[in-house]
Amino acid sequence: MSVEAQQGIAAPRVPAGLSGLLPALILIGLFFVVPVLALLLRSVTDPAPGLQNYAALLGDGTYARVFFNTFLVAFVVTIVTVLVAFPVAWMLAIMPPALASILFGIIILSMWTNLLTRTYAWMVLLQRTGVINRALIGAGIIDQPLPLINNLTGVTIGMVYIMLPFMILPLVGTLRAIDPMTLRAAALCGASPLAAFRRILLPLSLPGIAAGGLMVFVMSLGYFVTPALLGGTSNMMLAEMIAQMIQSLLNWGLGSAAAFILLVVTMALYALQLRLVGARRAVGGA
Amino acid sequence: MLLDYDRLGWLKIALLGFTALVAAFLLLPVVFIVLLSFGSSRWLAFPPPGWTLKWYQELFADPSWIEAALTSARIATMTAILAVTIGLLASFALVRGQFRGREILRGLLLTPMVLPVVVFAIAIYAFFLRLGLGGTTIGFVVAHTVLALPFAIIPIATALEGFDKSIEDAAIVCGASPLQAKLRITLPSIRIGIFSAAIFSFLASWDEVVVAIFMASPTLQTLPVKIWGSLRSDLTPVIAAASSLLVALTLALMIVTALLRRKLQT
Repeated sequence: MSVEAQQGIAAPRVPAGLSGLLPALILIGLFFVVPVLALLLRSVTDPAPGLQNYAALLGDGTYARVFFNTFLVAFVVTIVTVLVAFPVAWMLAIMPPALASILFGIIILSMWTNLLTRTYAWMVLLQRTGVINRALIGAGIIDQPLPLINNLTGVTIGMVYIMLPFMILPLVGTLRAIDPMTLRAAALCGASPLAAFRRILLPLSLPGIAAGGLMVFVMSLGYFVTPALLGGTSNMMLAEMIAQMIQSLLNWGLGSAAAFILLVVTMALYALQLRLVGARRAVGGA
Repeated sequence: MLLDYDRLGWLKIALLGFTALVAAFLLLPVVFIVLLSFGSSRWLAFPPPGWTLKWYQELFADPSWIEAALTSARIATMTAILAVTIGLLASFALVRGQFRGREILRGLLLTPMVLPVVVFAIAIYAFFLRLGLGGTTIGFVVAHTVLALPFAIIPIATALEGFDKSIEDAAIVCGASPLQAKLRITLPSIRIGIFSAAIFSFLASWDEVVVAIFMASPTLQTLPVKIWGSLRSDLTPVIAAASSLLVALTLALMIVTALLRRKLQT
């Protein structure tokens, strides 16, 4: 019996395995791949065949501003989220289990609470007459209420709030995987805490920071709800513009082209993330 | 040193203080909304001048809120059942199948989680307009199942990867049919994964806003669409009451999950 013959015996498993995939492939093929491809087609055929939709999007200052806003917000949100998440993940990775489970509970509660509920709370908190402005005035820190909502400040606060769990939770895994011995060794060899942080802890957690940060960046680029509710009309973000082009302006050609640009950027960054962490771990954090 | 909790010294105090601040930041909106829902000020003054239940009364007196919640529950339940069934079949194939392109197929099935929802929302909206499925329950369930499928596949596939297949084979050697072995040995062993899949795919539909905004019709509104519409017109405290009930639901779900996990694991 040759190797081929043995494979022949194992062969019936292959169709059996694939048939289980059939419902999922039909669902995703028919109701995900086909609609998205149809949208792409529309971006080059509506109203007339050609690339005029893309030319209009990329050549116009108004749209350029939207693209700039989107990348700016995503970038700022990512930086702030990483800076805030790192110390929290660090503590979570090493604190006593009882304390850690309370903190995990708070993170999960915030993450699982309805997205609109959280955004509504921020809308009320950040208002001109909201709690935060009143508290700051009451404390004598400011005289006039700060414009915290209907601008990019509001969007950034709301988005950082939503993204934090997505950064903290995977980072805890990365930090827990670091052997504390490496840091003890550094201290024994005379490294100051700052040197140990810069030369050991930070480099070892960099893969987790990069992967989580990239995920936050990608999610922020395409976010719709929070920017639409906490942002202003003068500094729209991409997802909101796409929705508006379709829903209010019924400009399908332009809307699909903008959607396709968002899709390409997102998928390119996602591919980069897969490279960084490997296909399985990339989406396993959810 | 830096990873030894008891030997951090002053750094520990600083980091713990910062962590406490972040925890407060994460809790703030949730706690705030619950307090606000009992406040008597229509203009959302805080701290409220008095306490009241009238926003809850207004909420329950309005049939459109109740109807939206029931619609959401119906769509989310159907989505969870579909996503878990399809995800279970797919997970067996993805984990155990020996065919080329397995990783690519896995990637394809998980893509709806990565693609910005707004892109999928307008794509499926256009598609369903042509098929006449816009604004229908079936349309909602199909679109939400696409979005929920990754959340069903990931926990089930993870559980299945951790399950030793030789136990299933042993059952077959002892005379069970392959189907019997799967139903009576394998499925009970990966029940935590299946249970997580059900919760996550339910929530994926229950909380979904973007597709729902496009898909909704005047006669078919889910709860997020109803909240969205109210938010855009005014910030009435009735939304705070509805939101608080959603927070209560989240807490209940967390407690049930924690209890069940403990029970299932022992």
